[in-house]
Amino acid sequence: MPSTIKSENKTLNIAGKKTQLTILGEGPPLLYLHSAGGETEPIAFHKKLAEKHTVYLPAHPGFALSEGLDRIDDINDMAWHYVDLIQELGLEDVPVVSYSLGAWIASEVKLLRPRLIGPTVMIAAAGLHVDGAPMAELFIDEFDDLRKLLFFNPESQEAKDYFPSDVNDPRILMWLRAREATARVGWNPYLHNPKLLQHLHRLDSPVQLIWGKQDKLIPAAHGEYYAAHLPNAKLIELEECGHMVPYEKTEEAAEIALDFLLTENA
Amino acid sequence: MKFFAFHLMPWDRLPDDFEKNHKTAWTWLPNEIFDPQHGGELYNNYLDQLVLADELGFDGVCVNEHHQNAYGTMPSPNLMASILARQTKNCKIAVVGNAIPFYDPPTRCAEEFAMIDCISGGRLIAGLVVGGGPEYYSFSKNPTFAREMYREAFDLIMRAWTEPGPFEHYGKHWKLKYVNPWPRPIQQPHPPIWIPGAGSRETIQFVAERRFAYMGIPYFHMDFFQRNFDMFRDACEKCDYTADPEQLGWLLPIYTAETDEQAWAEYEPHLWYFVKKLLKGLVVFPPGYTSARSIAGIQKGLQQFMSTCETREDIEKGGYAIVGSPETVRQKLSERIQKLGVGNLLGLFQLGTLPHDLTCKSMKLFAEKVMPGLREELNVESALS
Repeated sequence: MPSTIKSENKTLNIAGKKTQLTILGEGPPLLYLHSAGGETEPIAFHKKLAEKHTVYLPAHPGFALSEGLDRIDDINDMAWHYVDLIQELGLEDVPVVSYSLGAWIASEVKLLRPRLIGPTVMIAAAGLHVDGAPMAELFIDEFDDLRKLLFFNPESQEAKDYFPSDVNDPRILMWLRAREATARVGWNPYLHNPKLLQHLHRLDSPVQLIWGKQDKLIPAAHGEYYAAHLPNAKLIELEECGHMVPYEKTEEAAEIALDFLLTENA
Repeated sequence: MKFFAFHLMPWDRLPDDFEKNHKTAWTWLPNEIFDPQHGGELYNNYLDQLVLADELGFDGVCVNEHHQNAYGTMPSPNLMASILARQTKNCKIAVVGNAIPFYDPPTRCAEEFAMIDCISGGRLIAGLVVGGGPEYYSFSKNPTFAREMYREAFDLIMRAWTEPGPFEHYGKHWKLKYVNPWPRPIQQPHPPIWIPGAGSRETIQFVAERRFAYMGIPYFHMDFFQRNFDMFRDACEKCDYTADPEQLGWLLPIYTAETDEQAWAEYEPHLWYFVKKLLKGLVVFPPGYTSARSIAGIQKGLQQFMSTCETREDIEKGGYAIVGSPETVRQKLSERIQKLGVGNLLGLFQLGTLPHDLTCKSMKLFAEKVMPGLREELNVESALS
């Protein structure tokens, strides 16, 4: 990894919503849509992507310093926000790497404006209800339980670093904001849109699905369902990996994503 | 000064391995544990206790709403209140309250409250609440909309009681072409309104602005109540009036027996069942239920919550419950009521596993040997006017 990666912070006005945007690296554009965890500051995974791409890393409304959650009532509003944002950035057919909540948003944007989004990497995507594979409860208070839910190895250093450990952690306010913004669109129906199922056949551009085999929050069966019902998708499941793919399998997942985008853009 | 008997209607038979195998008495506690036969006996005992309160001269009885839990098995306080409307003669019936974001449409609350007011001859006190944190899980209701749903439902209910129908309501959460509830309440323009709060500034401000009554949520340290009630009085002053003590209510567990020693001996196992089992999981703040900053603040306030108590001394020192002989109870209550400046005392006389006979005995002692002295001392007449 190069020691210095070009990085720029911006504040955009997206239809009246103050929006935090970080731009990383150089090369063809890539839009990264973050998860409920709110990885809005560059992490190692983003930096890997930024070795080959200019990575646009916006914070969803209500996350980090982005505002406008009062104008988001559901996932549909969130998707329209991204229609506005992508147009504001002057992008079209932009490749997307998306993770969990972000991957759900990517699907919804693609349905609204198919031409805005190009080949898409969807990591541990929310968005579906799959019979027999219920998603676990994300909205709990205990950090230790959350760590066990999300990581394959909750004792690992990245698991410890990533989560606040108690309410006195200075990151707690940002964490509570991220949790609220996720609940806004994902409380009920729980982290999915019942209508997305019947639209999957319309999402016909190339999709690379990446899943942790031991994902307890969104079981790998969801990845298999997406793979079976999206017309042009393939799935890679990673061993010894939970929901936190970009943290637990940083190099591997970034390589899969970059290879896929290289092939699709060739 | 008014005295109310408050009831939670708790489940008294949690398994011995509860603490080991269950993280909470709420939402996720398997309902197999609820035995309907025994539930029926409990409901009847609990109703008898509230009817007894009326006979003993309490100013009112209180019921409240909770869902999917062992702490308070009263998902419909309105059912209980309607029974009490028939079975009591004089006392006020305070429903503290209906969790109005869960009423769809909220005009159901306006209707049911009006029925209770009619049946009771105008004795209803209408409590309107946001609903507890755990209930947003139990109902899968989005807590990030809790406050705005509450405000919309609240205003709609007030309009339903005070404006001639039919009228239209096109709000964000409910769209109603015809609002026209039959019946209307006896008490005009509407029954008295009580609103409970756990210290969030938003709630205090809301209640003060509208000159309703604020009920302090129980099981906090005395100092926490003092801060909240002072904050409420300040908020009223900022609205250009001085709060009436009757705008404040203080809810706390009370147990009276012949002597201090006997009171503690009879009460303590039941108190700990309540503290260690039933309170487990009560305080949950789902995302957005209140502002992130408030959640962080209240989390710190929870260091002064009853569930942190380990000994009788902790309970007494924090004023989490008042336990003792009639003289001890009278003296402690007198001092604290004056200090807190409250005009309504909401006694939780039954709690946890406290058996029916002990509950009735404690209530009788309280009514005969504590209430009259306090009424006299605090220089007010009985509210049965």
